[in-house]
Amino acid sequence: MKFAPSLFEVRNLSFTRGGNEVLKSVNLSILEGEYCAIIGPNGGGKTTLVRLLMGLEKPTSGSIKLFGTDQAKFRAWNRIGYVPQRSALVDASFPATVREVVAMGRYAQRGILGFESTEDSEAIEESMVQMGVADLRDRLIGHLSGGQRQRVMIARALASHPQVLIVDEPNTGVDVESQHRFYELLRFLNKTRRISILFITHDVGVIAEDISKLFFVNQTLLLSQTPQEMLRCDAMSRLYGTPAHVVSHNH
Amino acid sequence: MMEMLHYPFMQRAFAAGLIIALLAAMSGSFIVLRRYSLLSETLAHVSLVGVSVGLLFGLSPLWMAVAASLIASWSIEYLRSVHGMYSDSILAIFLSGSLALAIVIVSISGSFNASLFSYLFGSILSVSNDDLMIMAFFGSIAMVLLTLFFKELYFIAFDEEVARTSGIRVTALNFMLVSIIALIIALSIRVVGTLLIGALMVIPPVAAIRFGMGFFKTTLLSIAIALVSVVIGLSTSFFFSLPSGAAIVLSLLVIFVIALAVNRR
Repeated sequence: MKFAPSLFEVRNLSFTRGGNEVLKSVNLSILEGEYCAIIGPNGGGKTTLVRLLMGLEKPTSGSIKLFGTDQAKFRAWNRIGYVPQRSALVDASFPATVREVVAMGRYAQRGILGFESTEDSEAIEESMVQMGVADLRDRLIGHLSGGQRQRVMIARALASHPQVLIVDEPNTGVDVESQHRFYELLRFLNKTRRISILFITHDVGVIAEDISKLFFVNQTLLLSQTPQEMLRCDAMSRLYGTPAHVVSHNH
Repeated sequence: MMEMLHYPFMQRAFAAGLIIALLAAMSGSFIVLRRYSLLSETLAHVSLVGVSVGLLFGLSPLWMAVAASLIASWSIEYLRSVHGMYSDSILAIFLSGSLALAIVIVSISGSFNASLFSYLFGSILSVSNDDLMIMAFFGSIAMVLLTLFFKELYFIAFDEEVARTSGIRVTALNFMLVSIIALIIALSIRVVGTLLIGALMVIPPVAAIRFGMGFFKTTLLSIAIALVSVVIGLSTSFFFSLPSGAAIVLSLLVIFVIALAVNRR
């Protein structure tokens, strides 16, 4: 019997900000190849949980292991692609072309004075083509639409050839057609390139058939199951603390 | 026109001015993009405290300016990154606080107003061979560091958090950048003056950004604008007996207005 390696291993994770307990005793694990989503009410700690995983916040207590290594000792950050909330909000005049932004995904691997290698150029090109932004390479990032910018940010995350992609609320301010394309892309990355996916969303119904694990977070991890088990009215009511009805729809 | 270059003091002023222009424009691109433009202005005022202390106690004003500027830059970055204070608020506190301190020191001594004037607004007559050697030495170090970490500093300016999560040592590089800026500002006070160096750091990148290019081309254009401004400013200063700092800044402003007019959006 073969077990998939654990990419993220979180044990008894708690986080307090300004005396308020934002997260309490969270335990979760994400395995290689999994396609996971975090849902929960606003202010429930979803983004904080992701920021803790990425080392942008320090936990009050508990432990985080990334690829089997304690987070404090973890150095292989190129194995994780991160697209934070509102990352696509860029000043219109910022002097950065699409290619320059995607190339940033390779910077940490190039090291000091590391010039762009053939491997770097190929990774950048491949990411731009995959995300459908290769034709925009010389355009300023601030001159693109919200959906295009989002694809550029994901291309940047993919350029480092990550094994896991973390995306925080990817569809904020993006039109329905772009959302649909985005979900298709995530499916492709997970199924074809075997990239594990973790993303925060409000609209889990759209991707329920693809997700292998769903985390309900409201100050603590309330449930961690398959979507079929969780998309029931009682589970939703427990999560949101109010009577909830699950409505199926397709965009 | 070329006759001015026959004078050794003008040769030194041009050499010093071009070194400062190159460094100021290159480092200025990063602080402008990070909405940190007032850092240069603030550290210039802090340098004034160092100059005043140096003049009061008979120490080297240049080295005292370097020391004051470095200490302030580290304090500002510490308060911003560790304590999470708003950067514009910290800069406002340091700017007004250091100016107040400098005024008090000047009032106590009351005897070096003429010397202080040249540090405030720059003077092409005041660049000595020693000054030039110091500028060339520390300027080279600053240039090497800015070149080595150019791409990392660019990533941080674009998105500090994602740069951090990609494995870039953001905290160390932020401290390095403010240290370089503090050094450039303190070293430039002979030519441009403490009150005007901020313009040499901020105006070239802002004017270059108007042309809507990528970062690499924008930085090159920014450097070109700074170099041209220094040449025009120093020449004007020589022929019309004007303070060199003021002449350089007015040249920058003319180029900035042209950039605005050419790129109306």
